Amino acid sequence: MIGTFWETYFVMILTAAIGTIGYCLNVNIKRNKIVYGCIGGVVSTFLYCVCVEADLSLLMQNLIPATVVTLYAEVLARIVKAPATVFLIPSIIPLVPGGRLYYTMRAIVDGKGADAKTYAMETLVIALGIAVGIVGISLMFYHVSHRNIQYKVRFDQDRIGKVTSPTRSMCRFSGIFSLHESVQKSAQNETQNSSSEK
Amino acid sequence: MEKETVCETPTQVMECALDMGETMLRCGAEILRVEDTITRICTAYGGGIVDIFTILSLIILSWKTDAGENHTLTRRINPHPTDLNKLEDLNALSRYICQKKPPCSEIQQRIRAIMAPEERRIYKSKMTGYVLLASAFTLFFGGNLRDGLAAGIVAVLMYLWDYCFASHGRNRVVYSLVISVVAGILCSLSVLIGIGQNIDKVMIGSIMLMIPGINLMNALRDMMCGDIITGILRLAEALMMAIAIAVGFGIAIMLFGGLLR
Repeated sequence: MIGTFWETYFVMILTAAIGTIGYCLNVNIKRNKIVYGCIGGVVSTFLYCVCVEADLSLLMQNLIPATVVTLYAEVLARIVKAPATVFLIPSIIPLVPGGRLYYTMRAIVDGKGADAKTYAMETLVIALGIAVGIVGISLMFYHVSHRNIQYKVRFDQDRIGKVTSPTRSMCRFSGIFSLHESVQKSAQNETQNSSSEK
Repeated sequence: MEKETVCETPTQVMECALDMGETMLRCGAEILRVEDTITRICTAYGGGIVDIFTILSLIILSWKTDAGENHTLTRRINPHPTDLNKLEDLNALSRYICQKKPPCSEIQQRIRAIMAPEERRIYKSKMTGYVLLASAFTLFFGGNLRDGLAAGIVAVLMYLWDYCFASHGRNRVVYSLVISVVAGILCSLSVLIGIGQNIDKVMIGSIMLMIPGINLMNALRDMMCGDIITGILRLAEALMMAIAIAVGFGIAIMLFGGLLR
Protein backbone atom coordinates (compact mmCIF):
# COMPACT_ATOMS: atom_id res chain seq x y z
CA MET A 1 0.00 0.00 0.00
CA ILE A 2 2.88 2.32 0.82
CA GLY A 3 4.37 1.48 -2.56
CA THR A 4 1.29 2.61 -4.44
CA PHE A 5 1.11 5.74 -2.26
CA TRP A 6 4.65 6.70 -3.26
CA GLU A 7 3.97 5.92 -6.91
CA THR A 8 0.90 8.14 -6.94
CA TYR A 9 2.23 11.08 -5.00
CA PHE A 10 6.01 11.01 -5.53
CA VAL A 11 5.87 13.58 -8.34
CA MET A 12 3.68 15.91 -6.28
CA ILE A 13 5.98 15.84 -3.26
CA LEU A 14 9.12 16.26 -5.33
CA THR A 15 7.72 19.18 -7.33
CA ALA A 16 6.38 20.76 -4.14
CA ALA A 17 9.91 20.69 -2.72
CA ILE A 18 11.39 22.27 -5.86
CA GLY A 19 8.60 24.84 -6.11
CA THR A 20 9.08 25.81 -2.47
CA ILE A 21 12.78 26.40 -3.09
CA GLY A 22 11.78 28.57 -6.04
CA TYR A 23 9.39 30.57 -3.89
CA CYS A 24 12.07 31.07 -1.22
CA LEU A 25 14.45 32.47 -3.84
CA ASN A 26 11.62 34.61 -5.17
CA VAL A 27 10.83 36.39 -1.90
CA ASN A 28 14.53 36.55 -1.03
CA ILE A 29 14.75 34.38 2.06
CA LYS A 30 18.24 33.92 3.47
CA ARG A 31 20.14 31.07 1.84
CA ASN A 32 20.71 29.15 5.09
CA LYS A 33 16.96 29.20 5.87
CA ILE A 34 15.72 27.92 2.53
CA VAL A 35 16.11 24.32 3.67
CA TYR A 36 13.61 24.86 6.53
CA GLY A 37 11.03 26.24 4.13
CA CYS A 38 11.64 23.31 1.81
CA ILE A 39 11.10 20.80 4.63
CA GLY A 40 7.88 22.61 5.56
CA GLY A 41 6.64 22.42 1.97
CA VAL A 42 7.37 18.69 1.80
CA VAL A 43 5.64 18.08 5.14
CA SER A 44 2.52 19.98 4.13
CA THR A 45 2.30 18.23 0.76
CA PHE A 46 2.88 14.82 2.34
CA LEU A 47 0.14 15.41 4.91
CA TYR A 48 -2.18 16.71 2.20
CA CYS A 49 -1.60 13.52 0.20
CA VAL A 50 -2.21 11.37 3.28
CA CYS A 51 -5.46 13.22 3.97
CA VAL A 52 -6.57 12.83 0.36
CA GLU A 53 -5.80 9.12 0.56
CA ALA A 54 -7.71 8.84 3.85
CA ASP A 55 -10.71 10.36 2.04
CA LEU A 56 -11.20 13.30 4.40
CA SER A 57 -13.33 16.29 3.45
CA LEU A 58 -11.88 19.18 1.43
CA LEU A 59 -11.74 21.37 4.52
CA MET A 60 -9.81 18.84 6.58
CA GLN A 61 -7.44 18.09 3.68
CA ASN A 62 -6.12 21.62 4.03
CA LEU A 63 -6.75 22.31 7.70
CA ILE A 64 -4.61 19.47 9.02
CA PRO A 65 -1.47 20.25 6.96
CA ALA A 66 -1.85 23.97 7.70
CA THR A 67 -2.10 23.31 11.44
CA VAL A 68 0.94 21.04 11.53
CA VAL A 69 3.03 23.36 9.39
CA THR A 70 2.14 26.39 11.48
CA LEU A 71 3.20 24.51 14.60
CA TYR A 72 6.47 23.65 12.86
CA ALA A 73 7.07 27.27 11.78
CA GLU A 74 6.29 28.80 15.18
CA VAL A 75 8.52 26.34 17.04
CA LEU A 76 11.30 26.81 14.52
CA ALA A 77 11.00 30.59 14.78
CA ARG A 78 11.73 30.35 18.49
CA ILE A 79 14.69 28.03 17.97
CA VAL A 80 16.33 29.80 15.01
CA LYS A 81 15.25 33.30 16.16
CA ALA A 82 13.70 34.58 12.96
CA PRO A 83 10.14 35.76 12.19
CA ALA A 84 7.74 32.83 11.87
CA THR A 85 6.59 34.24 8.52
CA VAL A 86 9.92 33.25 6.99
CA PHE A 87 9.16 29.57 7.54
CA LEU A 88 5.38 29.69 7.34
CA ILE A 89 4.86 31.21 3.90
CA PRO A 90 7.00 28.76 1.88
CA SER A 91 5.44 25.85 3.78
CA ILE A 92 1.90 26.93 2.97
CA ILE A 93 2.53 27.61 -0.73
CA PRO A 94 1.80 24.05 -1.99
CA LEU A 95 -1.66 24.24 -0.37
CA VAL A 96 -2.63 27.51 -2.06
CA PRO A 97 -5.60 26.91 -4.37
CA GLY A 98 -4.00 28.32 -7.53
CA GLY A 99 -5.51 25.58 -9.67
CA ARG A 100 -9.03 26.12 -8.34
CA LEU A 101 -8.68 29.88 -8.89
CA TYR A 102 -7.79 29.24 -12.52
CA TYR A 103 -10.65 26.82 -13.13
CA THR A 104 -13.11 29.25 -11.49
CA MET A 105 -12.01 31.98 -13.85
CA ARG A 106 -12.02 29.64 -16.82
CA ALA A 107 -15.58 28.55 -16.08
CA ILE A 108 -16.71 32.18 -15.79
CA VAL A 109 -15.06 33.05 -19.12
CA ASP A 110 -16.66 30.04 -20.77
CA GLY A 111 -20.05 30.99 -19.36
CA LYS A 112 -20.54 27.84 -17.27
CA GLY A 113 -22.24 29.31 -14.23
CA ALA A 114 -22.78 26.10 -12.28
CA ASP A 115 -19.14 24.99 -12.65
CA ALA A 116 -17.91 28.44 -11.66
CA LYS A 117 -20.00 28.30 -8.51
CA THR A 118 -18.63 24.89 -7.52
CA TYR A 119 -15.02 25.89 -8.13
CA ALA A 120 -15.44 29.22 -6.31
CA MET A 121 -16.94 27.41 -3.32
CA GLU A 122 -14.04 24.95 -3.30
CA THR A 123 -11.51 27.79 -3.48
CA LEU A 124 -13.17 29.48 -0.53
CA VAL A 125 -13.33 26.28 1.50
CA ILE A 126 -9.63 25.61 0.91
CA ALA A 127 -8.73 29.18 1.86
CA LEU A 128 -10.88 28.86 4.98
CA GLY A 129 -9.19 25.61 5.96
CA ILE A 130 -5.73 27.11 5.62
CA ALA A 131 -6.76 30.27 7.49
CA VAL A 132 -8.31 28.38 10.39
CA GLY A 133 -5.25 26.15 10.67
CA ILE A 134 -2.85 29.09 10.77
CA VAL A 135 -4.92 31.25 13.11
CA GLY A 136 -5.65 28.48 15.60
CA ILE A 137 -2.02 27.61 16.25
CA SER A 138 -0.60 31.14 15.95
CA LEU A 139 -3.15 32.42 18.44
CA MET A 140 -1.93 29.91 20.98
CA PHE A 141 1.69 30.95 20.50
CA TYR A 142 0.73 34.62 20.52
CA HIS A 143 -0.98 34.35 23.87
CA VAL A 144 1.89 32.42 25.42
CA SER A 145 4.65 34.73 24.24
CA HIS A 146 2.84 38.06 24.73
CA ARG A 147 1.03 37.58 28.02
CA ASN A 148 3.36 39.90 29.94
CA ILE A 149 3.36 42.85 27.60
CA GLN A 150 1.44 45.84 28.87
CA TYR A 151 1.47 48.77 26.54
CA LYS A 152 -0.93 51.08 28.34
CA VAL A 153 -0.72 51.02 32.09
CA ARG A 154 -1.17 54.70 32.66
CA PHE A 155 -4.29 54.49 34.76
CA ASP A 156 -4.19 51.19 36.56
CA GLN A 157 -1.28 51.64 38.90
CA ASP A 158 -2.95 49.33 41.42
CA ARG A 159 -2.12 46.40 39.22
CA ILE A 160 1.48 47.40 38.56
CA GLY A 161 2.74 45.93 41.80
CA LYS A 162 1.33 42.57 40.80
CA VAL A 163 2.99 42.35 37.39
CA THR A 164 4.35 38.85 37.05
CA SER A 165 8.03 38.48 36.37
CA PRO A 166 8.81 38.45 32.64
CA THR A 167 9.13 35.02 31.08
CA ARG A 168 12.46 33.72 29.96
CA SER A 169 11.78 34.57 26.36
CA MET A 170 11.16 38.17 27.37
CA CYS A 171 14.47 38.48 29.20
CA ARG A 172 16.28 38.80 25.90
CA PHE A 173 14.90 42.30 25.69
CA SER A 174 16.28 44.40 28.48
CA GLY A 175 13.70 47.03 27.54
CA ILE A 176 10.91 45.18 29.26
CA PHE A 177 12.49 45.70 32.67
CA SER A 178 12.88 49.41 32.28
CA LEU A 179 9.31 49.52 30.98
CA HIS A 180 7.92 48.36 34.30
CA GLU A 181 10.21 50.62 36.32
CA SER A 182 9.44 53.70 34.30
CA VAL A 183 5.76 52.93 34.29
CA GLN A 184 5.71 52.76 38.06
CA LYS A 185 7.62 56.01 38.32
CA SER A 186 5.44 57.91 35.88
CA ALA A 187 2.31 56.55 37.52
CA GLN A 188 3.51 57.94 40.82
CA ASN A 189 4.31 61.26 39.19
CA GLU A 190 0.87 61.45 37.74
CA THR A 191 -0.87 60.77 41.02
CA GLN A 192 1.25 63.47 42.65
CA ASN A 193 0.42 65.93 39.92
CA SER A 194 -3.29 65.26 40.09
CA SER A 195 -3.35 65.52 43.88
CA SER A 196 -1.45 68.82 43.84
CA GLU A 197 -3.90 70.20 41.31
CA LYS A 198 -6.79 69.44 43.60
CA MET B 1 19.25 46.19 35.92
CA GLU B 2 20.62 49.73 36.21
CA LYS B 3 19.56 52.30 33.69
CA GLU B 4 22.30 53.84 31.63
CA THR B 5 22.36 57.55 31.05
CA VAL B 6 21.46 58.12 27.43
CA CYS B 7 22.77 61.26 25.84
CA GLU B 8 20.45 61.21 22.83
CA THR B 9 17.61 63.68 22.57
CA PRO B 10 14.11 62.17 22.48
CA THR B 11 13.59 63.31 18.90
CA GLN B 12 16.68 61.46 17.75
CA VAL B 13 15.59 58.28 19.50
CA MET B 14 12.12 58.59 18.00
CA GLU B 15 13.60 59.12 14.56
CA CYS B 16 15.56 55.90 14.96
CA ALA B 17 12.55 54.00 16.25
CA LEU B 18 10.42 55.27 13.38
CA ASP B 19 13.13 54.37 10.88
CA MET B 20 13.09 50.84 12.24
CA GLY B 21 9.30 50.69 12.18
CA GLU B 22 9.02 52.09 8.69
CA THR B 23 11.60 49.76 7.20
CA MET B 24 10.07 46.73 8.92
CA LEU B 25 6.58 47.62 7.76
CA ARG B 26 7.82 48.12 4.22
CA CYS B 27 9.56 44.75 4.22
CA GLY B 28 6.34 42.99 5.19
CA ALA B 29 6.24 42.78 9.00
CA GLU B 30 3.06 42.43 11.01
CA ILE B 31 1.72 45.49 12.83
CA LEU B 32 2.28 43.88 16.21
CA ARG B 33 5.95 43.36 15.43
CA VAL B 34 6.35 46.99 14.33
CA GLU B 35 4.62 48.43 17.38
CA ASP B 36 6.50 46.10 19.67
CA THR B 37 9.84 47.12 18.17
CA ILE B 38 9.15 50.83 18.43
CA THR B 39 7.91 50.55 22.00
CA ARG B 40 10.92 48.51 23.03
CA ILE B 41 13.39 50.93 21.46
CA CYS B 42 11.77 53.98 23.05
CA THR B 43 11.60 52.37 26.49
CA ALA B 44 15.15 51.09 26.19
CA TYR B 45 16.37 54.64 25.63
CA GLY B 46 14.83 56.27 28.65
CA GLY B 47 11.49 54.85 29.66
CA GLY B 48 8.37 56.96 29.73
CA ILE B 49 5.06 56.13 28.17
CA VAL B 50 4.82 55.26 24.50
CA ASP B 51 1.59 55.65 22.55
CA ILE B 52 1.68 54.26 19.07
CA PHE B 53 -0.82 53.76 16.30
CA THR B 54 0.14 51.95 13.13
CA ILE B 55 -1.76 51.10 10.00
CA LEU B 56 -0.48 49.94 6.65
CA SER B 57 0.44 53.42 5.43
CA LEU B 58 1.02 55.48 8.58
CA ILE B 59 2.80 55.38 11.92
CA ILE B 60 1.91 57.84 14.68
CA LEU B 61 4.28 57.79 17.63
CA SER B 62 3.76 59.87 20.75
CA TRP B 63 6.21 59.61 23.62
CA LYS B 64 6.00 61.06 27.10
CA THR B 65 9.52 60.88 28.45
CA ASP B 66 10.49 60.50 32.08
CA ALA B 67 11.25 64.20 32.15
CA GLY B 68 7.60 64.82 31.40
CA GLU B 69 7.99 66.14 27.86
CA ASN B 70 5.58 65.05 25.17
CA HIS B 71 6.87 64.40 21.67
CA THR B 72 4.93 63.28 18.63
CA LEU B 73 6.14 62.23 15.19
CA THR B 74 4.27 60.72 12.28
CA ARG B 75 5.47 58.85 9.22
CA ARG B 76 3.76 58.10 5.94
CA ILE B 77 4.73 54.68 4.62
CA ASN B 78 4.97 54.13 0.90
CA PRO B 79 4.44 50.70 -0.60
CA HIS B 80 7.50 48.58 -1.18
CA PRO B 81 8.03 45.02 -2.39
CA THR B 82 8.19 42.45 0.39
CA ASP B 83 11.67 41.29 1.28
CA LEU B 84 11.90 38.69 4.01
CA ASN B 85 15.70 38.76 3.97
CA LYS B 86 15.75 42.39 5.06
CA LEU B 87 12.96 41.77 7.55
CA GLU B 88 15.08 39.14 9.24
CA ASP B 89 18.09 41.47 9.38
CA LEU B 90 15.93 44.23 10.87
CA ASN B 91 14.54 41.84 13.46
CA ALA B 92 18.06 40.91 14.51
CA LEU B 93 19.00 44.60 14.59
CA SER B 94 16.12 45.43 16.93
CA ARG B 95 17.25 42.72 19.33
CA TYR B 96 20.75 44.16 19.16
CA ILE B 97 19.49 47.70 19.83
CA CYS B 98 17.51 46.70 22.91
CA GLN B 99 20.42 44.75 24.35
CA LYS B 100 23.36 47.04 23.60
CA LYS B 101 21.71 50.46 23.26
CA PRO B 102 24.13 51.77 20.62
CA PRO B 103 24.18 55.50 19.80
CA CYS B 104 21.57 56.71 17.33
CA SER B 105 24.09 57.42 14.58
CA GLU B 106 25.14 53.77 14.64
CA ILE B 107 21.53 52.59 14.40
CA GLN B 108 20.87 54.82 11.43
CA GLN B 109 24.05 53.62 9.76
CA ARG B 110 23.03 50.00 10.22
CA ILE B 111 19.51 50.60 8.91
CA ARG B 112 20.96 52.36 5.90
CA ALA B 113 23.29 49.42 5.31
CA ILE B 114 20.39 46.96 5.41
CA MET B 115 18.06 49.05 3.27
CA ALA B 116 20.70 50.03 0.70
CA PRO B 117 19.02 50.04 -2.71
CA GLU B 118 20.05 47.00 -4.68
CA GLU B 119 21.84 47.68 -7.88
CA ARG B 120 19.58 47.32 -10.86
CA ARG B 121 20.64 44.18 -12.62
CA ILE B 122 19.25 40.79 -13.49
CA TYR B 123 19.57 38.57 -10.44
CA LYS B 124 20.26 34.98 -11.42
CA SER B 125 18.96 33.63 -8.10
CA LYS B 126 15.65 35.42 -8.47
CA MET B 127 15.27 34.30 -12.06
CA THR B 128 16.01 30.72 -10.99
CA GLY B 129 13.34 31.13 -8.33
CA TYR B 130 10.78 32.21 -10.94
CA VAL B 131 11.62 29.31 -13.24
CA LEU B 132 11.64 26.68 -10.47
CA LEU B 133 8.37 27.93 -9.01
CA ALA B 134 6.47 28.07 -12.29
CA SER B 135 7.78 24.77 -13.70
CA ALA B 136 7.46 22.84 -10.46
CA PHE B 137 3.88 23.90 -9.85
CA THR B 138 2.94 23.17 -13.45
CA LEU B 139 4.06 19.59 -12.80
CA PHE B 140 2.50 19.66 -9.29
CA PHE B 141 -0.95 20.34 -10.72
CA GLY B 142 -0.60 17.54 -13.25
CA GLY B 143 1.11 18.95 -16.31
CA ASN B 144 3.68 17.02 -18.30
CA LEU B 145 7.34 17.90 -18.84
CA ARG B 146 6.68 19.99 -21.97
CA ASP B 147 4.19 22.09 -20.00
CA GLY B 148 6.87 22.56 -17.35
CA LEU B 149 9.31 23.74 -20.00
CA ALA B 150 6.75 26.18 -21.40
CA ALA B 151 6.01 27.54 -17.91
CA GLY B 152 9.74 27.98 -17.31
CA ILE B 153 10.13 30.01 -20.50
CA VAL B 154 7.10 32.13 -19.59
CA ALA B 155 8.60 32.66 -16.12
CA VAL B 156 11.88 33.95 -17.61
CA LEU B 157 9.98 36.38 -19.83
CA MET B 158 7.88 37.51 -16.86
CA TYR B 159 10.99 38.13 -14.81
CA LEU B 160 12.35 40.29 -17.62
CA TRP B 161 9.03 42.16 -17.76
CA ASP B 162 9.22 42.67 -13.99
CA TYR B 163 12.75 43.93 -14.42
CA CYS B 164 11.78 46.46 -17.09
CA PHE B 165 8.51 47.71 -15.56
CA ALA B 166 9.05 47.10 -11.84
CA SER B 167 6.12 48.01 -9.60
CA HIS B 168 7.42 51.22 -8.15
CA GLY B 169 4.03 52.82 -8.58
CA ARG B 170 1.45 53.03 -5.85
CA ASN B 171 -1.10 50.72 -7.30
CA ARG B 172 -0.07 47.10 -7.09
CA VAL B 173 -3.54 45.94 -8.11
CA VAL B 174 -3.31 47.56 -11.54
CA TYR B 175 0.23 46.28 -11.92
CA SER B 176 -0.81 42.70 -11.22
CA LEU B 177 -3.69 43.09 -13.68
CA VAL B 178 -1.27 44.19 -16.42
CA ILE B 179 1.31 41.54 -15.69
CA SER B 180 -1.30 38.78 -15.64
CA VAL B 181 -2.63 39.87 -19.05
CA VAL B 182 0.95 39.68 -20.34
CA ALA B 183 1.54 36.32 -18.66
CA GLY B 184 -1.73 34.96 -20.03
CA ILE B 185 -0.82 36.03 -23.57
CA LEU B 186 2.65 34.50 -23.20
CA CYS B 187 1.17 31.21 -21.96
CA SER B 188 -1.29 31.11 -24.86
CA LEU B 189 1.50 31.84 -27.33
CA SER B 190 3.71 29.12 -25.86
CA VAL B 191 0.92 26.62 -26.40
CA LEU B 192 0.14 27.96 -29.90
CA ILE B 193 3.80 27.62 -30.92
CA GLY B 194 3.69 24.07 -29.65
CA ILE B 195 6.03 24.07 -26.66
CA GLY B 196 3.36 23.39 -24.08
CA GLN B 197 0.39 21.07 -24.53
CA ASN B 198 -2.11 21.85 -21.77
CA ILE B 199 -2.89 25.55 -21.61
CA ASP B 200 -4.55 25.25 -18.20
CA LYS B 201 -1.52 23.68 -16.50
CA VAL B 202 0.90 26.25 -17.93
CA MET B 203 -1.37 29.06 -16.77
CA ILE B 204 -1.73 27.61 -13.27
CA GLY B 205 2.06 27.49 -13.04
CA SER B 206 2.34 31.16 -13.88
CA ILE B 207 -0.58 32.10 -11.62
CA MET B 208 1.38 30.63 -8.71
CA LEU B 209 4.12 33.20 -9.46
CA MET B 210 1.81 36.09 -8.69
CA ILE B 211 -0.40 34.84 -5.87
CA PRO B 212 -0.35 37.43 -3.03
CA GLY B 213 0.52 34.84 -0.39
CA ILE B 214 2.44 37.10 1.97
CA ASN B 215 -0.35 39.69 1.98
CA LEU B 216 -2.96 37.09 2.85
CA MET B 217 -0.80 35.60 5.57
CA ASN B 218 -0.07 38.98 7.13
CA ALA B 219 -3.75 39.93 6.93
CA LEU B 220 -4.62 36.81 8.91
CA ARG B 221 -1.90 37.36 11.47
CA ASP B 222 -2.81 41.03 11.92
CA MET B 223 -6.48 40.33 12.46
CA MET B 224 -5.61 37.59 14.90
CA CYS B 225 -3.51 39.96 16.99
CA GLY B 226 -6.33 42.50 17.17
CA ASP B 227 -5.20 44.92 14.43
CA ILE B 228 -8.45 44.65 12.56
CA ILE B 229 -8.01 47.81 10.48
CA THR B 230 -4.72 46.77 8.96
CA GLY B 231 -5.94 43.22 8.58
CA ILE B 232 -8.90 44.43 6.54
CA LEU B 233 -6.68 46.72 4.46
CA ARG B 234 -4.30 43.90 3.68
CA LEU B 235 -7.10 41.43 3.03
CA ALA B 236 -8.79 43.87 0.66
CA GLU B 237 -5.54 44.40 -1.21
CA ALA B 238 -4.88 40.66 -1.44
CA LEU B 239 -8.41 39.91 -2.65
CA MET B 240 -8.27 42.70 -5.21
CA MET B 241 -4.94 41.36 -6.45
CA ALA B 242 -6.40 37.86 -6.72
CA ILE B 243 -9.37 39.21 -8.67
CA ALA B 244 -7.03 41.27 -10.87
CA ILE B 245 -4.99 38.14 -11.63
CA ALA B 246 -8.13 36.20 -12.52
CA VAL B 247 -9.42 39.03 -14.72
CA GLY B 248 -6.04 39.42 -16.42
CA PHE B 249 -5.81 35.74 -17.34
CA GLY B 250 -9.48 35.87 -18.33
CA ILE B 251 -8.73 38.66 -20.81
CA ALA B 252 -5.88 36.64 -22.27
CA ILE B 253 -8.09 33.58 -22.64
CA MET B 254 -10.79 35.66 -24.31
CA LEU B 255 -8.22 37.00 -26.77
CA PHE B 256 -6.90 33.55 -27.67
CA GLY B 257 -9.90 31.47 -26.66
CA GLY B 258 -11.01 30.54 -30.17
CA LEU B 259 -7.59 29.29 -31.17
CA LEU B 260 -7.05 26.97 -28.25
CA ARG B 261 -10.18 24.88 -28.22
